[in-house]
Amino acid sequence: MTNAIEIRQLHYRAGRAFQLRQLDLNVPSGAIYGFLGPNGSGKTTTIRLVLGLLRPLAGRITVLGDAIPDAAPRVLARVGYVPEQPHLDPTLTVRETLRFQAAFYPHWDSPCAEHLLRQFELDERTAFGRLSKGQKGKLMTLLALAQRPDLLVLDEPTDGLDPVVRRDVLSALLDYVSQRQATVFISSHLIHELERICDWIGVMDNGRLITEVPMARFKNGIKRLRVAGAPPSAAGAPFMILAREHVNGGAETWVVRDWEPEMAAYFATIGAALNDVIDLDLEEGFVELLRSFRDRPSSS
Amino acid sequence: MFRVMLYSQWKWTRLIVALGSIAAFALPLVSVQGAARADSNPLQAGELLQAVQSWGTLYPVLAAALGLLVAIATWAPDHRGRHVHALSLPLPRWRYVLLRFGAGATLLAAPIVAVSAGALLPGALAIRFALAVLVAYAVFFAVSAGTARTAGIILGLIGSVILVQIIAGVANVDLDLFGRVQVLVLNWPGPLAIFTGRWMLIDV
Amino acid sequence: MFEQLDPRSPNPLYAQIANRLRVAIAAGELRPGAALPSVRHLAGELRVNPATVVQAYRDLETDGFVEMRQGAGTFVREVPPEGRARERARQATTLVRQMLGEAGRLGVSLAELQAAIAEQIGVGTA
Repeated sequence: MTNAIEIRQLHYRAGRAFQLRQLDLNVPSGAIYGFLGPNGSGKTTTIRLVLGLLRPLAGRITVLGDAIPDAAPRVLARVGYVPEQPHLDPTLTVRETLRFQAAFYPHWDSPCAEHLLRQFELDERTAFGRLSKGQKGKLMTLLALAQRPDLLVLDEPTDGLDPVVRRDVLSALLDYVSQRQATVFISSHLIHELERICDWIGVMDNGRLITEVPMARFKNGIKRLRVAGAPPSAAGAPFMILAREHVNGGAETWVVRDWEPEMAAYFATIGAALNDVIDLDLEEGFVELLRSFRDRPSSS
Repeated sequence: MFRVMLYSQWKWTRLIVALGSIAAFALPLVSVQGAARADSNPLQAGELLQAVQSWGTLYPVLAAALGLLVAIATWAPDHRGRHVHALSLPLPRWRYVLLRFGAGATLLAAPIVAVSAGALLPGALAIRFALAVLVAYAVFFAVSAGTARTAGIILGLIGSVILVQIIAGVANVDLDLFGRVQVLVLNWPGPLAIFTGRWMLIDV
Repeated sequence: MFEQLDPRSPNPLYAQIANRLRVAIAAGELRPGAALPSVRHLAGELRVNPATVVQAYRDLETDGFVEMRQGAGTFVREVPPEGRARERARQATTLVRQMLGEAGRLGVSLAELQAAIAEQIGVGTA
């Protein structure tokens, strides 16, 4: 399977403090890839690098088969970008903005643009600068979709939008993805939204990608276990232990990763009892993962 | 692409271009008008020339102002959005810059035509005005096109020249940097030579 | 119809969707020959990955509840009475499992549970 986005050993630095180092990232074609991470972890920087807006110090970026930033103009014709901050000319009206964009994209779909204009209930005579935050978000999504891109890159597209607008934007996005085999790379910290729609998940923290797995494996693989009578060092566990917490008596709560039901047998081998397996939703799993990475001395 | 670029730039600069065109049209007329006298004495050739010449100093000022304002207005939307929009468009940077430049230059045609219309003949004055406007526009366009860092570099250069001049003055070294630069740039064949000299409606 | 969809549940979304449709078909809510919403439409409405809907429909097809026709859509099949009975039995088992699990957590004994069931059934038919 080809990858829509491929990042190899990316290194980037901005100022003294922040840097991306040894970043490897893969977005399979046709996937909806959720890019998670706390603020300041490097999500927006990574996205800017992927689009050729920034130049890396080292490493290789390939988007839709072409090298970035060398072939950026050619690639960008097939990429729909919705940035975090509104970036369009504030004096142009909605209609004029549409006309402007249409001139640059060979595959522009006018009927689609008109349809979305009605669906999003945007008044075409309002200047971009006068639109509300939600309307701006809707318009930028509209522009990205009307391009008929092969890849959609969305940087916190629903951040700060009210729930109704969020639903509209996501519905339009998913509608498009159903029509075309487009790939979606969406960064967000609205985890509950990503939970529904993503089939891959990549988690950034502090300039590193700490995990990249199919969504099902991430969600189902992270569990909270109630364990009793376990020895201080649990060697040879088939799963990865993210955290161990003593509760009371000999009872402990373990947070583990890459769990599979058969692994319950392991506890007998160390003379412990597994009392309960509790599911964690994506948000809890994400928090536990981050916590475990931060508590651990820097490795990987 | 050029059409939509032209349209968006017109939206930003239409006031400047409109007012500039009116001023450009009026300037030749007013400069002649100012020479007319209320009394019945026949116009003295000398007085006429003097009057026209004094109004003439406004031409380079108008040209520079037009070039500056149109250049700034051209890049204003990009600076507001930190160039994200321009850089995310599917065309090479140099082509985008060229489109912007061309659009601005096209819009500046209006005041240029206005000058020749006002002067009633497409003479040397109109051509000279055209060149002056375009030179000013190009210079300020180049400065505005860059990032804040580029503009900073340019200002830094100017600042360091000033600094060197001051130090030279203090050290009593005879170093007239600004004079040299001025001579280089403002006299022919320097690029800004077009702004100097006398601006006359009639070839004197 | 899909109000109970819970992305946080350990039960994957596609299974939840398939389940709901299975119940609807078995109960006769969706009649044979009826068209299911298009993948595109349902994905947009539920705000889930279209691949999720596709998988749900495929599961239903495997179980013989629907038929996916290329280009035309997905249609409900005539489910024989045994099929519907099997589905009802499945749902009943799930209900009982849930109840037993919950009872265990609350410390309700089997005898107490059975007594409560008998009482409620009596109330229902009285």
